[in-house]
Amino acid sequence: MLRVLARIGGAVFVLWAVATVTFFAVRLIPGDPAEAVLGGPGSMASAEALAAVRREYGLDQPLFVQYLDQLVRLATGDLGRSYALSIDVGPLVLSQLGGTLLIATLALGLAWLLALALATWSTRGGRVAWYLGSGLEIVAAALPHFWFATALIVVFSIWLGVFPPISTSGVAGLVLPVVTLAVPLAGFLGQIMRESLLLALESPFVLSARARGESEAGVRWIHAVRHAALPAISLSGWAFGSLISGAVVVETIFARPGLGRTLLNAVTSRDVPVVVGVVMIVAVVYILMTLLTDLASRLADPRLAVRS
Amino acid sequence: MRSTPQTLAAIAGLVAVGLLATGCTTTPTETAVGDPISGGTFTYASGDAQPSCLDPHVGGNFPQALVSAQYLESLVSRDDNGAIIPWLAESWTTTDDGLVWDFTLQDDVTFTDGTPLNASAVQANVAHVLDPNTASSTGYLALGKVASTEAVSDTVVRFELTEPDSALLESLSQPWLAIQSPTGLERSKDENCEAPVGTGPFIVDSWVKQNAITLVRNDDYNSPPADAAHEGPAYLETIVWRFIPESATRYAALQSGEVDLIDNAQPDTIVQAEASDTLVHLDSPRPGASNRIELNGGKAPFDDVLVREAFIRSANVDDAVTSLFQGTATRSYAALGSREPLAVGRDDLFDYDPDAANALLDEAGWSERDSEGYRVKNGERLNVQFPVSTNQSIPAEQSIFEQIQATAKQTGFEVSLAPLDISSWYGALGANEYDAVSAPYTKAGPDVLRVLYHSDGIVPAPSGYFANLAQVSDPEIDALLTEAAQISDETERAALYADAQNRLLEGFHLLPLYDQQNHFLLQADVQGMRTLPSVSVPTLYDTWLNR
Repeated sequence: MLRVLARIGGAVFVLWAVATVTFFAVRLIPGDPAEAVLGGPGSMASAEALAAVRREYGLDQPLFVQYLDQLVRLATGDLGRSYALSIDVGPLVLSQLGGTLLIATLALGLAWLLALALATWSTRGGRVAWYLGSGLEIVAAALPHFWFATALIVVFSIWLGVFPPISTSGVAGLVLPVVTLAVPLAGFLGQIMRESLLLALESPFVLSARARGESEAGVRWIHAVRHAALPAISLSGWAFGSLISGAVVVETIFARPGLGRTLLNAVTSRDVPVVVGVVMIVAVVYILMTLLTDLASRLADPRLAVRS
Repeated sequence: MRSTPQTLAAIAGLVAVGLLATGCTTTPTETAVGDPISGGTFTYASGDAQPSCLDPHVGGNFPQALVSAQYLESLVSRDDNGAIIPWLAESWTTTDDGLVWDFTLQDDVTFTDGTPLNASAVQANVAHVLDPNTASSTGYLALGKVASTEAVSDTVVRFELTEPDSALLESLSQPWLAIQSPTGLERSKDENCEAPVGTGPFIVDSWVKQNAITLVRNDDYNSPPADAAHEGPAYLETIVWRFIPESATRYAALQSGEVDLIDNAQPDTIVQAEASDTLVHLDSPRPGASNRIELNGGKAPFDDVLVREAFIRSANVDDAVTSLFQGTATRSYAALGSREPLAVGRDDLFDYDPDAANALLDEAGWSERDSEGYRVKNGERLNVQFPVSTNQSIPAEQSIFEQIQATAKQTGFEVSLAPLDISSWYGALGANEYDAVSAPYTKAGPDVLRVLYHSDGIVPAPSGYFANLAQVSDPEIDALLTEAAQISDETERAALYADAQNRLLEGFHLLPLYDQQNHFLLQADVQGMRTLPSVSVPTLYDTWLNR
């Protein structure tokens, strides 16, 4: 019971910290939010219009009062109203959440498949496979999303013409964004999996499984991979967060609707409520993912459950 | 009252001119290709930011103008020679003192919600733009001299001015003053932003934020501008208006056939497209001001005309434009764009001449150099703060600034380029923390000079922004621009603008680069695509798909 309470307390603390840091970070960059309401900076808005907007949005209050206001509103689940788009932030962010979760989830799944395949192949295929595998992982992990996405567009959209470079109603439009996000992540996960797979394969329990006459496939897929997956599972929470930040780049390049693009536009126009709203939602998703990976780790390794 | 002649012959002539003029750049209308085919979906891919409101009265920026030109129409338009031609207003007259203007509207036009276009509808639009709750900036400024409006009859609307405005018609031709249904305007601001109602060839059907705006054909359309190529409804059935911010993706989407047209085409993709058989390039530079670097004369070091001239003489712009724009942009020597008939270009003033620049700096007292080769005076380095808006200056332009930085260094200028996002950039300008800056400004007609270079423009708006970024404060230029903005005689107006431009350029207040670039790339089977000359936004009314 205490553990559950501590867990909830931790989540609330994270959300508060995220709201606080985001609020002050956005307000510290130069630019007047009242102008964002009146059609962006450089609009020759009149003094009356600016004053009216400052009153309406409470921007004439001291910053700390605005901050407390915002906390109270957030605590009651009210994400406020967008300065630039003049619509409520809650529905806006929720409408964009689906697209981002879809590509992030697919990318995480694909990254797992790629990493598993690469790790098992490179630990079995001898020295060449070992070096090739680890080399590929390092290259993949170092790929910048921006460069990789452009390269994929050139090859698969322009030269081969098989996948569209922008989001379309069908599945085809998902391929390039998902691959862009999945490959660098697969590099990371692969490196970790390969190391723990090797460790597992040298463990006594593998030896005893072999002694029991377990087949090589059985040893690998039932015993060793389960061990090898553990660190990768716990990393997946972090990975999911990194996928959402990668979505900022990927959604912009592939012109997909989603949280990343919404966030980028909001930062550029100093749309504080939308920035805070998106970051809060991402934080919630992140917390949920961490919970899920904890549960998954327990399933994969019953020792964890026993220990607690 | 002096009447503006509007005969059928003149209109027919204008139509012909319009057709010829669109053919002077590389356009798909060059070759004759059978009769137009009706139907089809056209996908437009814009590199501009998605507007936050589809009603261009609100705020008033270029992305709004681009899309709203498909569903909203203005009282007048401009032809390719810059002359004013009829649109929703079929004729107009003005009094000799230029203080009263009567516009006669086409009498059989209705908005797409069934509301008739009449004098009171136009009045409602003027009121809407001037209402502080609308928060109009571009449209609001353009109506600055309008004191009141009056419905003389159902089809005649009168504008009464506080002082003569020779730019009134040019102002009214802009999409930011397009006429919307008064019934539509009575809705809440949010509703009107989602789907403004106009008289245009298309109707806003839906807008999925961050994704696409869908427009459908207005089957009852009957109000094309005088230079349109056909009458009756548009050919295209549906327009899907997408936003693809990344240049490479935009071009890839065009190449793979996902979209039919892209705007904001960059020099590298233009060169590629011109080598291709399946793509066509449409070059439609914007009217109003050219793209130029303003030198801030309001503080040191550019308060000294010798230093301003020295900077201009040490900037090797020609070579930079040639190499970085790969032949897609032509060097300008004028404050106005080449589409403005009254533009004065002075290529004698902007030669790259490091020797002259060095002599000028010596004369201005910047004769010593420090260990890094920069000039110093009284212990101060000759530094030029140059904030660059990464939202507005395309990569090729940013590279031009870097080349200017390199060539100016040879004569001893330290140019500090600061790439900034748009809010920080406006912040730096508002705080007067700049010596040089390139800021685009689009307004139809030479009156843009008054906005940019009249000393009134140094007074900041409440937001801190001011348009006279060169901080030109010259009583003679002020007088010329004020008189030109009031005079009705075209010849005298041209002479006044010529004097003002010569004085401006001879004062080395600005370094012209090229026209405001506005390149479109489209599929070769797209026919009848052109831009409205008012502010060079595309119109898809005459467009059809030859497939």
